[in-house]
Amino acid sequence: MKSKIISTVLFVFVTLSSQSQSISSSPYSLYGLGSLYDSDFGSIPAIGSSGIALPSDQFINNLNPASLAFMYKNHFLFDVGGKSIFSTYEDNSKKESRNNFQFSHLALAFPITSKSAFSLALKPYSSSSFKISNLILPIQDSRENYNLDVTGSGGLNDFDVSYGYRVSNKLALGLTTAFLFGNTTDDRNYTISSSITNIYKKTSYSGIRPILGAQFKVDSTFTLGMKIKSPAKIRASKIQSVVSTNIATTITIESELESDVDDYYMPLEVGVGLSKVFKNNLNLTLDYEKALWNSTNQSDLYGTYVNQDKFALGFSYKKRKSYKSYFDRIQYAAGVNYDTGFLEIDNQRINNSSVSFGVSLPIENTFSALNVTYSYGQKGKISNGLIKENYHKISLNLCLDGIWFVKRKFE
Amino acid sequence: MLFIDEIFGVVYVIMPFKKEAYIFVQKLFMNKLVLLLFFGLSLISCNSDVDAGEFVVGSDYLSVNNKVILIDTLTVEVGTINFDSLVTSSQSRILVGNYDDPVFGKVKSDSYFQVAATSYPIYNENSDTDATNYVFDSIAMILKYDNYFYGDTTKVQSLSIHRLTQKVKPNTDDDSFYNNSALTYDAKSLGNISFKPQPLGKDSINIKLDNDFGSELFLKLKKREVTNFDEFTAYLKGFVLKSTSENSSSVIGFNTSSVVRLYYSKYLGDSETSLVKNFTIQDVAKQFNNITLDRTGTLIQNLPVSTTVLSGSQTDNKAFIQSGTGMAVRIDFPNIKQLKYIAEKGAIVDAQLMIKPINNSYSDAYPLPDSLQVYVSDKLNRLKGSLYNSDGTVLHAILNNANDEFNENVGYSISIGSFLQSELVKQLDSRSSLILTLPSISKAVDRVVLGNQKNATNKVELKIYYITY
Repeated sequence: MKSKIISTVLFVFVTLSSQSQSISSSPYSLYGLGSLYDSDFGSIPAIGSSGIALPSDQFINNLNPASLAFMYKNHFLFDVGGKSIFSTYEDNSKKESRNNFQFSHLALAFPITSKSAFSLALKPYSSSSFKISNLILPIQDSRENYNLDVTGSGGLNDFDVSYGYRVSNKLALGLTTAFLFGNTTDDRNYTISSSITNIYKKTSYSGIRPILGAQFKVDSTFTLGMKIKSPAKIRASKIQSVVSTNIATTITIESELESDVDDYYMPLEVGVGLSKVFKNNLNLTLDYEKALWNSTNQSDLYGTYVNQDKFALGFSYKKRKSYKSYFDRIQYAAGVNYDTGFLEIDNQRINNSSVSFGVSLPIENTFSALNVTYSYGQKGKISNGLIKENYHKISLNLCLDGIWFVKRKFE
Repeated sequence: MLFIDEIFGVVYVIMPFKKEAYIFVQKLFMNKLVLLLFFGLSLISCNSDVDAGEFVVGSDYLSVNNKVILIDTLTVEVGTINFDSLVTSSQSRILVGNYDDPVFGKVKSDSYFQVAATSYPIYNENSDTDATNYVFDSIAMILKYDNYFYGDTTKVQSLSIHRLTQKVKPNTDDDSFYNNSALTYDAKSLGNISFKPQPLGKDSINIKLDNDFGSELFLKLKKREVTNFDEFTAYLKGFVLKSTSENSSSVIGFNTSSVVRLYYSKYLGDSETSLVKNFTIQDVAKQFNNITLDRTGTLIQNLPVSTTVLSGSQTDNKAFIQSGTGMAVRIDFPNIKQLKYIAEKGAIVDAQLMIKPINNSYSDAYPLPDSLQVYVSDKLNRLKGSLYNSDGTVLHAILNNANDEFNENVGYSISIGSFLQSELVKQLDSRSSLILTLPSISKAVDRVVLGNQKNATNKVELKIYYITY
């Protein structure tokens, strides 16, 4: 009966979350598949999104499938999260702000044997939500103008199926198969003279991307990790409708016409990381990732795709073996993250840097915890038409830990 | 193990290898599940975008692949056509007068009508002995203004009334009279009047009619020689109201409640009672106006037959519309199909046609109409329909009131984007034209002179807004 409840809960989440694929409203969402979305689980947002070398023992580590191999036996982990983002966007002449709150992820993981575990996760991969309104553009061959309003919505979802296996006491390997799917819409209203023309494009994407991971425990306090995300092709198809309304009539000029659109290529990405515990209660995590966008030979209309470097550093602190008060059980964490971005516009990169602070508030005497993270970041800079995006982000991740007891073993 | 029974436990059987199987019992409290549900659902339901106002930051990155183009160089041909006949019966207006139009020539309108009474006996008493007590006094035509006038009403207008010698009856196989219909009449007039029209100041004018005519009619009725409609119309077929003076300068409208009134008295002893009998236009189909135009010496003296068009380039880059006489302006877009070559995929989303009246062709006496009627026609000037607004009402060309010092921007604008788009995508080779007339084409003599594309001062302008997609 209870398994029915759980599967119902899962089903509800999957349906709702794939419908409510949201929303970042960043002008940078105009590119490619939209703004990539960092939905990290557990306390990872607090440590600057580092953790390739962290095990999935107390929460699900989404950065490396090999971490699943270090899950404690008989535990069942569940993670759900959301983010609240307050952003301001600024260019040479204007400053605008937008707020939104969005679903971040839903994941579960459970061990299969003492050496292996399995996880499922659903999260947004990218968001192409944006809004540009009341843009005044010149009409060609005239001194007149027209008005353009554009709303982008949708994005890609990522459904990850992961498996981690401990080859030896020190080495674990993992594989994630990421199913990317979703669609983006681009809805434009051209107000020309006394007519309104609506051009609606819907692009559907689907693709599969394998991710390999490994973790190596050098000793009980020091772990190394690495992962390789394979290049992948995301197939795309587009439909377009054009409807024009003027004083006299509404004419459907084009109705849901399918057309070819360039497929999207994801690059080879390699990441390495380390995790070291000092004095038994301070954990340092450091990651470096490189994404080889150059080799995808893609370009956007206004920018080119360039190789991307990402650095992440995090510290977490928790008192060990002293459970006298509730506050002693809270984990405190901080981190920094720097990302060069993969877009270059007018020889300027859209880089992103952020700092984060977080606490992990335990629930009951299990690994269940509510992770609260505040981060502040900047993306891009103001120059020559570039945009600076400042954001304050609050992430709430709820990790639930269910303990499974072995009742009986039989032939 | 015991407390497991107390909570909701879940049993999973997992068989990693064929021979071994484990049974797991999950310890997941119900309240935790509720917490999970609540938390997750609230996250999802809170998904929101708080956006309001203007958003243009980032618009530099917007790839606007759709081109929006203004085309104002498309050829627009403007010419004059002449409908050969307009139905002028049943228009409920007696239109009379004449004026010498500086542009169009001599305009003249005569009005023909049949009258009838509701009853014909002039007394109800049965005994013929009483008849001697009824005496004819006079007869008059009372014309009631209907507020329509055109031209200069400060000048004297002269009218005369004649008796028709032909029945007011349309030709065989027809129910209507036309602007060129005419009936024979007695050259001798029954009455005349010269007056300064005051169509807005006064209610009516009174034309005294010939006494001999009146007393003869009175006797016919008194002697009961005329007792019903047929007998009456056989005796008095109708009237024509004509404008006589050649130098009159206006055309006036009277309404069809105008009346021919017979005045008579009854004497009985010392008492005298004044009585009247009214003869009115009871059937508006038996009233029509003959409207003529003498174009001799004007630009349009050689108007072709009704199925062709006289290009504005042959008439000093002007085109002419006149109500009553059937002159209308035709507009053609001969090169519309060439817009197909602008882009593989493109459409006309809007178009504004601004057609302008010629400077000094209008004045207080010859005012511009507020709007023009727009029809779609084929190349033989046969009307195929109107243009419509999205709410189903008929689209008109509307006069803007942007009166500037030189009147350069005074014009009629029509939204023809949908018309041009349908012309653009039309598979058939035949092109449609637009025909402009005045709204009161059949019952007035208003006119307007419009410029074509080569007119130096009042050029027709067409702006086409085109988008590629």
